[in-house]
Amino acid sequence: MVTGALGTGLQVIAVALGSPLLVGVMRQVRARLEGRAGPGIGQPWRDLRKLLRKEPIAAHGTGWPFRAAPLLVAGTALVVAAVVPLVTTVSPLDGVADLFAVTALLALGSVALALGALDTGTAFGGMGASREMAVLALVEPTILVSVFALSIRVGSTSLGQIVTATVEDPLAVVSPASVLAAVALAIVTIAETGRIPVDNPATHLELTMIHEAMVLEYAGPDLALVEWASAMRLSIFLGLLSSLFFPVGIATAGAGVLAVLLSVLVLVGKVAILGVLLAAGEVFMAKLRLFRVPELLAGSFLLALLAVAASFFLA
Amino acid sequence: MGSLLVIGPLAVPVAAACAYAVLGWNRATAWLGALSAAGVLACAVALAATGGGDALGGQLTGDALSAYMLLVIGAVALLAMLAGPAYLAAELAAGRTGPRAMRRYGVLTQSFIAAMALAVLASSLGLLWVAIEATTIVTAFLVGHRRTREATEAAWKYVVICSVGIALALLGIVMLHYAGTHAGVTSLGWAELTAHADRLDPGVTRIAVVLLVLGFGTKAGLAPMHAWLPDAHSQAPAPVSALMSGVLLSVAFYAVLRTKVIADAALGAGFARTLLVIVALASLAVAALLLLGQRDYKRLLAYSSIEHMGLLALGAAVGGALALAAVLLHILGHGLGKSVLFLSAGRLHQAVGSSRMDAVRGLTARAPLLGGTFGLGLLALLGLPPFSLFASELGIARAGFAAGLGWAIAPALLLMLVIVAAVCRHAGRMLLGDSPDGAVATPYSVAVPLVAGLAACAALGIATGPLHSLLRAAATIAGAAP
Amino acid sequence: MTDATFVQLLDLACGAFLLTAVLVLWRRELAAIVWLFALQGIALTALIVVLGARQGDVELILIGLGVGALRAGLLPYLMRRALVAGGGGRETQPLVNVATSLLVAAVLAMLAYALSQPLVRLSPTPATQAVPVALTVLLIGFFLLVTRRRALSQLVGFLLMDNAITAAAFLTTSGVPLVVELGISLDVLLAVLVLQVLTTRMRAAFGGTDLDELRELHD
Repeated sequence: MVTGALGTGLQVIAVALGSPLLVGVMRQVRARLEGRAGPGIGQPWRDLRKLLRKEPIAAHGTGWPFRAAPLLVAGTALVVAAVVPLVTTVSPLDGVADLFAVTALLALGSVALALGALDTGTAFGGMGASREMAVLALVEPTILVSVFALSIRVGSTSLGQIVTATVEDPLAVVSPASVLAAVALAIVTIAETGRIPVDNPATHLELTMIHEAMVLEYAGPDLALVEWASAMRLSIFLGLLSSLFFPVGIATAGAGVLAVLLSVLVLVGKVAILGVLLAAGEVFMAKLRLFRVPELLAGSFLLALLAVAASFFLA
Repeated sequence: MGSLLVIGPLAVPVAAACAYAVLGWNRATAWLGALSAAGVLACAVALAATGGGDALGGQLTGDALSAYMLLVIGAVALLAMLAGPAYLAAELAAGRTGPRAMRRYGVLTQSFIAAMALAVLASSLGLLWVAIEATTIVTAFLVGHRRTREATEAAWKYVVICSVGIALALLGIVMLHYAGTHAGVTSLGWAELTAHADRLDPGVTRIAVVLLVLGFGTKAGLAPMHAWLPDAHSQAPAPVSALMSGVLLSVAFYAVLRTKVIADAALGAGFARTLLVIVALASLAVAALLLLGQRDYKRLLAYSSIEHMGLLALGAAVGGALALAAVLLHILGHGLGKSVLFLSAGRLHQAVGSSRMDAVRGLTARAPLLGGTFGLGLLALLGLPPFSLFASELGIARAGFAAGLGWAIAPALLLMLVIVAAVCRHAGRMLLGDSPDGAVATPYSVAVPLVAGLAACAALGIATGPLHSLLRAAATIAGAAP
Repeated sequence: MTDATFVQLLDLACGAFLLTAVLVLWRRELAAIVWLFALQGIALTALIVVLGARQGDVELILIGLGVGALRAGLLPYLMRRALVAGGGGRETQPLVNVATSLLVAAVLAMLAYALSQPLVRLSPTPATQAVPVALTVLLIGFFLLVTRRRALSQLVGFLLMDNAITAAAFLTTSGVPLVVELGISLDVLLAVLVLQVLTTRMRAAFGGTDLDELRELHD
């Protein structure tokens, strides 16, 4: 129980402090692969520090949804970071770490941001919000369905128990249901975190941007919060992927303090590797045209559905 | 002796095909096709008379039903092959074909006849499937024989739709085999499957029967998978159209009949009956609707084939001795009548240069013989006495009312009335009245099969004669209580 | 081979079989579709070989390898040749857009599971439990055939159906009798050759293989 609480605390700290570094690593990898020197992995933290020092300012004519959105995004990201099994499977908040609750929390963050963007009343805000909602409409069901496919094997929708079962029988991952769910989750992770080929985090071209269009009106500490939250969401998704399909080193019930500390290091390593792979993949990939994005997402939804079907009917 | 008679209908056309491949099409070999068809007919008669036999270690079996179907194949093939040389000569004169295409025509038509013979002689569902798929492959090139845009399109649709249908039938066979192995029947033979049908799992058999009826029904031109039929039958060379419409459809329907025997034994009479009634009424409705506004006389004949396949399905749904004997008689009568019509239409097309109805006016005045056979053929297909289709349609209707299927027979009769009205209207415009154009000559080699076919059809309508006992035996195999 | 390994290998082969079918529906480039079809042939081979190894049946393994040579070797080779010869029009032009097609495929998967319940109930072994996968691929193949306008993608649709039927045959009864199996393979090969010849003729007559051009015949 104590180690559970310790692990939970550590994983929140790791996500909160580490996620801007993850973004830094990914940018650095891209820069190096593209032949640039790159700003170094600490740059996102330096950006955040600079933004936090600025005077808070809200766009003219905006109301409370605009001001509440950054807090909600960051808050939900922190809560999710506390409840999902990244470092330990025996979090004291285990009852909350339900598949549906986690998905709903993540969706709440996205919807808040979209509402905030609509509240600005500008063309870009509305455009970004509508695009984000179109993506979200297919992403959320896919996450639900694909994690549900994994939960059938275990007989519980608690993420902690799913991961525990996988730790006990690692070979169970090599089944059609898990493979299909893994592919589906990987695709929605890319879509939800706004990476290439769905969205390009480094562009401000109105034809293509989704996430950046929504946060265009934010400045100062608000922008810092939004950027920090989206970095945390990226880390959470990558961490969840690694926990669900490759839960090596995760601290289960009865683990000692040392095991929990080790588990943090393993988590950092796994997420860093996934991040580097993602960044390297982005270098070699072109962004999809916007109207092709629903195809990609519908495909991942189909895969998730087939994963559920497979876990019911095969095995 | 028995096994020789079973191998014969396969060996004769195969030998003829080889001869065409080696020698090509010339004055000497032109009549080889008719000779081989006559050989098939002779084998069929002998097989019917001797009471059957089997060959190739039981892979081929000639029972009464097979012998009867073989008889139909032989008779229609003889008519078509007799008209073939004159048709090709006219095509050659018009520059629409050449020596290579004619050689290919010879090889393919003979392979086509051999494949159909194999289908009716096969003693197992598997071999039957292979033979029916082989007919698709062979006839694909015959449909696309003329290589025009229309012919290529028709051939493409034909192969794709029929292959898909046949693939469904294959899945049905797989399912039936699955049900069979769990009931201790490891072969796909008719005899074993029918004998142990009561042990087949009903759930699986139901799926298998639906797939088999849909699949073979595609090849038989039954709705809803009939879309290929009007295109293919209107684009193929006339003798091939005659063969395809006259017998190929019936051979595929023969597969449905065989399936129904197993289905009735495994699931009771109700299941296959419902399925066939639906398919039959749909086919009749499609034919009636599309015949009303038809503007092309070859397509008119093709839709009439869909109508007759619908009638056959209706007769099979009724079941019982009278209905099944009527169905079998209908197969022969339709084969003869439809081949006469397609051969006449082919000659007409060559003379007029178009298959549009409005290009043909006053045909009886221009060409009394051709107009006569075309008109009488249409009357035969509409089911007027003295032709045999009158007797068989009457038989199906009577048996249907007796079996309590009046609710299905009544709309069918209504749809047939619509078809009669539509065909009479079209035929009246084509056949009657004065003609501004000159006369159309009909060579003797075309006239003889046309007249012979109609005469045979009429004779069958008056008395079945020696066929009577064969019909009864074949109907017994097709599921009628003896 | 233990039970658990057998089931796992069988399920993996089935999963790959299904995944390739979905990807065929997903991708637009004809070249990629032909590749995926070859991969599906390999998955089918693996499936039959696993079944054969399980039953210790050398004949079944050999049949599996034969099927593999045809489905993963010869047929993709023929299609690639047709693709190279065809030039122009390297993408399929679906009548139904890809996103909708994928959602329809999800519905088809459910339908296949519902339809195959009697089959599974008759003998609930791991092999028959995978029959719904084969039926899903069959329906996807049929859907491709109906909604794609390029001659080659229709051909792939037909061959997907055929692969699915072969898979169903081996999953339910370890295959139909050998004579029939040979006949079927030969017929499939011939059908593909016929369609190839027709594609060539179509290109000569219509100047392309877009099936929308086929509208000479209608009522």
